[in-house]
Amino acid sequence: MISARGLVRTFGEGRAARRVLDGTDLDVAPGEIVAVLGRSGSGKSTLLHVLGGLDRPEAGSVAIAGEPVTGIGERRLSALRRRHVGFVFQFFHLLPELDGEANVLLAGRVRGADAGALERGRALVDRLGLRHVAGSFPHQLSGGEQQRFAIARALVNDPEVILADEPTGNLDVQAGADVLALLQELAGEGRAVVMVTHEAAAAGIAHRVLRLADGRLAVA
Amino acid sequence: MSRRARRLLAALGVFAAALVAGTSATVGFGLATGFERSASRAGLPDVIARFDDGAAADVDRRVGALPNLEARSYRYDVRDIRLRFGSQSTRKGILGVLGGGRRGYAVTEGRDVRAPGEVVIERGLARDWDLGPGDRLELGRRFELPVVGVAVAPDNVAFPLTVTPRVWLLPRGRLDEVNVAQLWLADPGRADITLAQARATSFGIGSLEFVTREGIRVLLGQAAGIVISLLVAFSLVALLAAGTMLATGAQADVARRLPAFGVQRALGYSPGRLAARQAAEAAAIAVPAASLGLAAGALAVSGPSGELLAQLNEAPPGWALAPVLALCLVGVVLVVCVAATWPAYRAARRPPAEILRGGDLRPLKRRRGPAGPAAQGAIDVREGERPGRTRSPTLPPLTSASSTAGSRTFGPAAGTAARPTSRLGDGLLATGARFALAARGRWLASVATIAVCAGVVTLMLALAALLERLRDDPGTVGKRYELTARLDPVFIASVRGIDGVAAASPRYQAEVADSYRLGEPLRLIAFPGDHTRFEAPPLASGRRLRGPDEAEVGLGLADALGLRPGSTLAVQAESGAEVRFRVVGVVRALEVDGRLAYVQPDRLIEADATTSATIAIDLDRDADRAAVQRELVALGARVQRPGAATTRNAAFLGVLASVLRGVGLAVGLVCLYALIQALAMTARERRGAVALLRACGADARTVAAVFAGAALVVAVPAAIAGLLLEWLAFGPLVARLAAGYAALPLAPTFGQVALVLGGLVLLAAGATALVARRALREPVVAGLREE
Repeated sequence: MISARGLVRTFGEGRAARRVLDGTDLDVAPGEIVAVLGRSGSGKSTLLHVLGGLDRPEAGSVAIAGEPVTGIGERRLSALRRRHVGFVFQFFHLLPELDGEANVLLAGRVRGADAGALERGRALVDRLGLRHVAGSFPHQLSGGEQQRFAIARALVNDPEVILADEPTGNLDVQAGADVLALLQELAGEGRAVVMVTHEAAAAGIAHRVLRLADGRLAVA
Repeated sequence: MSRRARRLLAALGVFAAALVAGTSATVGFGLATGFERSASRAGLPDVIARFDDGAAADVDRRVGALPNLEARSYRYDVRDIRLRFGSQSTRKGILGVLGGGRRGYAVTEGRDVRAPGEVVIERGLARDWDLGPGDRLELGRRFELPVVGVAVAPDNVAFPLTVTPRVWLLPRGRLDEVNVAQLWLADPGRADITLAQARATSFGIGSLEFVTREGIRVLLGQAAGIVISLLVAFSLVALLAAGTMLATGAQADVARRLPAFGVQRALGYSPGRLAARQAAEAAAIAVPAASLGLAAGALAVSGPSGELLAQLNEAPPGWALAPVLALCLVGVVLVVCVAATWPAYRAARRPPAEILRGGDLRPLKRRRGPAGPAAQGAIDVREGERPGRTRSPTLPPLTSASSTAGSRTFGPAAGTAARPTSRLGDGLLATGARFALAARGRWLASVATIAVCAGVVTLMLALAALLERLRDDPGTVGKRYELTARLDPVFIASVRGIDGVAAASPRYQAEVADSYRLGEPLRLIAFPGDHTRFEAPPLASGRRLRGPDEAEVGLGLADALGLRPGSTLAVQAESGAEVRFRVVGVVRALEVDGRLAYVQPDRLIEADATTSATIAIDLDRDADRAAVQRELVALGARVQRPGAATTRNAAFLGVLASVLRGVGLAVGLVCLYALIQALAMTARERRGAVALLRACGADARTVAAVFAGAALVVAVPAAIAGLLLEWLAFGPLVARLAAGYAALPLAPTFGQVALVLGGLVLLAAGATALVARRALREPVVAGLREE
């Protein structure tokens, strides 16, 4: 499902240059949950961004569902993200002007979204137990509810890959456990889940746990 | 957006405002002071008297006896002289034969005449014919004289605005006959006494006509006043726009720097010191940007403004403009500094602990969402919990009866509750609109700025169209007839009998002088019976005339002579006979600047049997104009279309219309700037949201649709408010300001409304494309990090 080879990404220039990905390789199969651990600043989020086409590596290649992520134009990259990738962020990134359901449906309103995306979004709100707070605005929601809305949004376009950046990092233990259970269910449906985390509990649900150090991934 | 980019955007705003201020100051100051400047330079006489040819000695005897006289000189003007230079020629030249003494003109190039056989020509002729000192000008068919100088005489507008170019020369020998006297008064404020005496001693002098320096100044001022008023209003609007935008920009900047403010305040910096630093930073941007803008504005319009002044025979301001521009610089920088400093001062005045805790400049109101009872219930469930803590939800299985296990397709949910919908909806346009509306203050400021600009643009368009109508369409000034025929009124019955003629009436016209203030020429227009059937200027006060002893006077004349309903209008006809009328109404007429009166012809013909008449002809709607004209010619008539307000100044009105449209275009650019600024701010603040959309797979068009929503929610209300503003405020205000002596219909037409609305939508589209393109150039992760 995900195939990354020889990824290189450097920040800064000259003597201040830091190579956070240095020939990183990764393969993730459908239905597999991979947890990536690492110290702060080790490049975990950068790896996720590169895998999802949010950032471009200086070298190496990424393919998702057989489609190349690297070396393609912005339009194709947008289409790839729309069709194949769902992002879950630590800070949810819900738009404060929109209520919970509207935030979910927003991803289904982008041009080129699947015809059934909006219907799917509404169904997701129901299935994630969010119907009773669907009309609430983000500031009226708890952290767990916000993250579940964010996950529903990531699923609106029915992606094969979920890239989760510290999905439980801003939640308490119980809410975090709920979100992890949800991710497990998503993987159970055949989606590939790559999760960046530094929490042991989160890593506990992963089929594989990798550690990013010195720009390379190794089994933890 | 980087700090450098933000500074550049702020500098561009200051530059735009200063550009407009520089433009307005240059044109406005040039027009406001041009006449006095050129009159002083030329030594323009306080009174110019024109009369039939008379013996120089006799005229000088009478003039020399006048009170309050400082100096005098005489001239003999020969009209309808043929002038030719190369392939260009005119038969309307005026040859001024100088009689010594002060000239009343200023030589701007070459030198003055020193001997007979050489000429000085007016600047308009020199410019239009590309003629200068050293060239030879053909006068009549016999003489070809060298041009030794070019001069400006500001007692009239320049050739070709006036069709009569002027040249001056010295006579061979003494000037025995004169027809122009130029008088310089010891006390110009008491010119009326000198004029009354001059009239009293003018027995035997025919066609006496006075023009005063003050009269010329007022006439030119009326023409220029409207432009000056508009330009001043426009530059204030631009400054307001720039100030508002800078203030909102400064507010956003201060919000970003709040933590630094907090630390500095904790370290002992005073609010004043922080505000002063903000002011210094603002000044560092404003001074160079405003200087450049003012200089660019002044340079950009110095050419057209100089051209306009040259057409009015006025001198450009030159270095006299420098202090005005310096004042503008101080003003612009002051506005910018206050706009930038005030939010910083307000923020820095708060206790350091409060600043360090973060938050916006103002505490944000907790907005109550449109949550229904379900949402309320959810909030109730969380009661007692700490904010951010979550309750333990029981998650329904992701795979339900309607979806097969392992499948990633989702069917419609049974029992999906209806969600309360907001007024704006949840589409991309609506989302963009929400982004713009989130900062209410800025949204209001942007709408207000663009509304005022849209109002000004509409006004400019309406005004330009009106000027052209005044030039071309007699109907604009209340003339309800399509043809005039120079034909003896005894033929009136024959004219009425022509097929296609709806109505015809003799129209008498006489140039007379006010009996009390003989310096005031005025025009009497007479129709037998009801004149409003043919000419119906709106009534400002009083009533329409009903009898031969009554008159309706133009507002211009009423103002000049202090007339009102009930006053007596006493006029002296060319024959010397006096006729008196009782003023019963005051009308708003544009012709001859409102210095006219409508009467019935009986008394006028009694006073002067030679009063000329034409026949005013109103045609049927479907009449064949050409056929009617042929029939009239067959009766021996010379047929003309009636003139509009100022047919003599048609070219000038055309120039003014072009200037106004140019100003409208410039204001349109301010609209574009305001839209871009508002959108750029929204994009800057919502870069995280845009990055999120892109992470969800939004392409360029989706992002553009969001920004289009943000642009439309500003542009559409602004356009509506702008049109209302023009219709209800600007139009009536400027109509009154521009010409108190006339009614100016300045309500926008459907075409102008469509143009402004369409233009604003186009500008919004342009601004959207620009801002969306910039937003898309930013890496997605950069926006996500900020969020």
